[in-house]
Amino acid sequence: ESILSRIRPFEYSQKNAVLVPAAALGVGGMLLYWLRSGRKIKTIEMGDGWWGSGERPLKGKEDESIRPFKIETSDKEIEDLHRRLDHFRFTPHVEGAAFHYGFNSSYLRKVVAYWRNQFDWRKQVEVLNKYPHFHTTIEGIDIHFIHVKPSYVPHGRAVQPLLMVHGWPGSFYEFYKIIPLLTEPARHGLNEGDVVFEVICPSIPGYGFSEAPHQKGFDSIATARIFHKLMNRLGFKEYYLQGGDWGSRITTNMAQMLPQSVKGLHLNIVFTGRQSLGRLICIMLGAYVPWLVGLSREDARLFYPFMQKNVYDVLRESGYLHIQATKPDTAGCGLNDSPVGLAAYILEKFSTWTDKSFLDKDDGGLESKYSLDELLTNVMIYWVTSSIVSSMRYYKENISKDPNLNAYNRYGIYVPTGIAAFPQEILHMPRVWAKDVLKNIISYSYMPRGGHFAAFEEPKLLAQDIMQFVRKVEQL
Amino acid sequence: CSSLAGIMLLEVFLVLGTLLIYFLFSKKREETLPFKDGWWGKGQKPVTQEDTSVRPFKVETTEEELSDLFRRLDQARFTEPLENSCFHYGTNSVHLRKVVSYWKNQFNWKKQVEVLNKYPQFKTKIQGIDIHFVHVKPPRLPEGQAAKPLLMVHGWPGSFYEFYKIIPLLTDPASHGLGDEHIFEVICPSIPGYGFSEAPHKKDFNSVSAASVFYELMLRLGFNEFYTQGGDWGWLICTNLAQIAPNHVKGLHLNMASVSKLGLTHLLSILLGRYFPGLFGFQDEDVRRMFPFLKKGLYRILSESGYAHIQATKPDTVGCGLNDSPVGLAAYILEKFSSWTDMEFQNLEDGGLERKFSLDDLLTNVMIYWVSGCIVSSMRFYKENLQKGIGTQKHEKLTVQVPTGIASFPNEILHTPQAWAKKKYTNIVSFHFMPRGGHFAAFEEPELLAKDILQFVGKVEKEQLWKKK
Repeated sequence: ESILSRIRPFEYSQKNAVLVPAAALGVGGMLLYWLRSGRKIKTIEMGDGWWGSGERPLKGKEDESIRPFKIETSDKEIEDLHRRLDHFRFTPHVEGAAFHYGFNSSYLRKVVAYWRNQFDWRKQVEVLNKYPHFHTTIEGIDIHFIHVKPSYVPHGRAVQPLLMVHGWPGSFYEFYKIIPLLTEPARHGLNEGDVVFEVICPSIPGYGFSEAPHQKGFDSIATARIFHKLMNRLGFKEYYLQGGDWGSRITTNMAQMLPQSVKGLHLNIVFTGRQSLGRLICIMLGAYVPWLVGLSREDARLFYPFMQKNVYDVLRESGYLHIQATKPDTAGCGLNDSPVGLAAYILEKFSTWTDKSFLDKDDGGLESKYSLDELLTNVMIYWVTSSIVSSMRYYKENISKDPNLNAYNRYGIYVPTGIAAFPQEILHMPRVWAKDVLKNIISYSYMPRGGHFAAFEEPKLLAQDIMQFVRKVEQL
Repeated sequence: CSSLAGIMLLEVFLVLGTLLIYFLFSKKREETLPFKDGWWGKGQKPVTQEDTSVRPFKVETTEEELSDLFRRLDQARFTEPLENSCFHYGTNSVHLRKVVSYWKNQFNWKKQVEVLNKYPQFKTKIQGIDIHFVHVKPPRLPEGQAAKPLLMVHGWPGSFYEFYKIIPLLTDPASHGLGDEHIFEVICPSIPGYGFSEAPHKKDFNSVSAASVFYELMLRLGFNEFYTQGGDWGWLICTNLAQIAPNHVKGLHLNMASVSKLGLTHLLSILLGRYFPGLFGFQDEDVRRMFPFLKKGLYRILSESGYAHIQATKPDTVGCGLNDSPVGLAAYILEKFSSWTDMEFQNLEDGGLERKFSLDDLLTNVMIYWVSGCIVSSMRFYKENLQKGIGTQKHEKLTVQVPTGIASFPNEILHTPQAWAKKKYTNIVSFHFMPRGGHFAAFEEPELLAKDILQFVGKVEKEQLWKKK
């Protein structure tokens, strides 16, 4: 009783002395935090680069001309290919292998027979040339791209420039079916022509008809800068971006580099990953109470069981990534010399990454979603340009020792972003976690079907999602 | 007082209980690995008895084989390396061009086939597939001495050919200044799916299957007791063999001894072993080879294991092109002969390939993979062994009681200290740090390895250690 009576006056007189500094500290802290997080968005520095051979020339300006380009072939090229196909040395698979050991060699024989006897490369070259191709030199290397403008634009309508970036083992050719849906939507029953695009699809340097960098260190940030320079050279100040696979990372870097030029960013795969204890706890809890950690039912369906889908499946599918990120010149050497080896390596991805259940099929389910003509045309792009090794080097240049050091995860993305989540994509990124880095998601759609090669496999679904996203951005 | 008696009783029960559990537990760990029978041939296993004859075999070549090879070498398509990349991105294609030029113009496959045929080779059918092996008997034996049978098992991307320089040191040590106390007759089989051994047609042919097949081979050749030696996959197969038939394996000699079960002690020793080596049983040389751990352990594993990752998951895909392009095959295989001999060789423009090996030797090994068309089946061995993960299989949890000798080479990819090895190999009779040499010990330093094998066998024989089990 006596003690209490002595404490109370102490409390009341000292109360202010304690409260005021505490309040000041609290307000000061909040102020400091607000100032630090700030209104100013941090961007990736543009920097500069030189990827040609030897030293960068000191004098003279770079040739900025845009030169039309047509893909060509020759009898010699086709005969050489046929000769190699004829001499392919085949290894029988173990009984009951299906696609569990990789590309099934019995099915591969059928593919090779088609390739040798029915596939018409000259005809495919004409198909490739139906869109206008160009070359232009940026930072010392020739950048290849196609540029498709709408043939008819209703009076007064704006045409949105859209840069679409492919990945590995794809190419600009993946966009051939979606391009007409974007440049002439009305004709394909997609809308009344209120959103119309002119589409630019470059080839990443080292892929297809873009020259390969001669210097080390060519990563997605260098690519982002080069593609910004390309759009600038074509006269565009503001444009939309779309990407999957490496294209997703490149376009995201572009949005982090020059947000003022990016009207909107549309992705069909999201790679951000801030590893933290909090994330780990969310992952563990999410298996039982997804709603508690912000996961939707669809998220839970795609994301769990966690170990199976995110650890085992990823480990099973990422051998190529591991070897390409460490020894690309070794991994690609034989593939540049054996077209059948190249086809097996590339087409295995078109099987498994389109639908995981294709692993159980003897034919890898390839022709259930694609035609052999289109699959082989993509393979031929790697073959005739001898770009498999340089395409693999991109993995080594981009995958550093510590993923958290990547600019990717450090800088937020504030441009309007749209995400199309395809159910058979290799990794599912729930919106609640994509938000960590993509701060301005204005559209997140669960697509009804489709896998990794969205533009190639489900062009209409992807086109519709891009359009609804752009419509939202334009109305903002 | 009553409570005191009660407490004492409880203590007694506790101690007894612990002893019982420990006894049961430790007894369990000493159990042998069961022999793995199987049928690896095509289709159904026939009802008739298997042909158990041992047939002589000779490597052969034809003009057609050679002209096909040359045509492929001529039409090889190379990709220019990045400037100043040496061997950091893999096999440097500028140097590869030189190797291919030698291969076309100077390498003489017919002559190398004669070299291969200088030792007697045989084939015999076991569990449905043809097993190839080299069997070299000593040219002369002193009065009253018997040759000791020694099974030597190769790995990937090696072959039986790796042992060609060490065989004479073991079958005829006296002529090479090594003394004649112990003379061996050497058997070097090819792992099924490698070289001239038939590839299994069924799934699940793993190291225990290979050990069982080789066990049957030794029995068929009439050997009841023998020594085994191995590195790379040979390490695992010989270890399994010692676990399957401990009463038949007199001694196990390894030039590589990995541990696949990492526990808390391992983690602690990685974190603190550099500062308190004595506490974890590390010697100075252990510390020198293992630390800094990030660089010599973790990063090295990550940067060097891409091939194992893809081979353990998609062997048929990655091997496909390599069976069609000899240049691609050579690039893939020779890269290992560079970095696994000395990691520093990656900084050299030529990958240091010819510093320890001759191009003739290197290309002969590559040719074995080429002419037998075995690259894909050789890679499947990774999937069959690793697909369920490392440290999950039964044999990885069992120990080895057979007398073991370990030759620890300084440039081996990963160093395993004796403190870790002895948890699995409970009867290490000799453990030596070799002065030089890397992963392909028999190929690169045959004399050092032979000497270590001889001193190990000497110890085992002298103390009749194999009888003490």
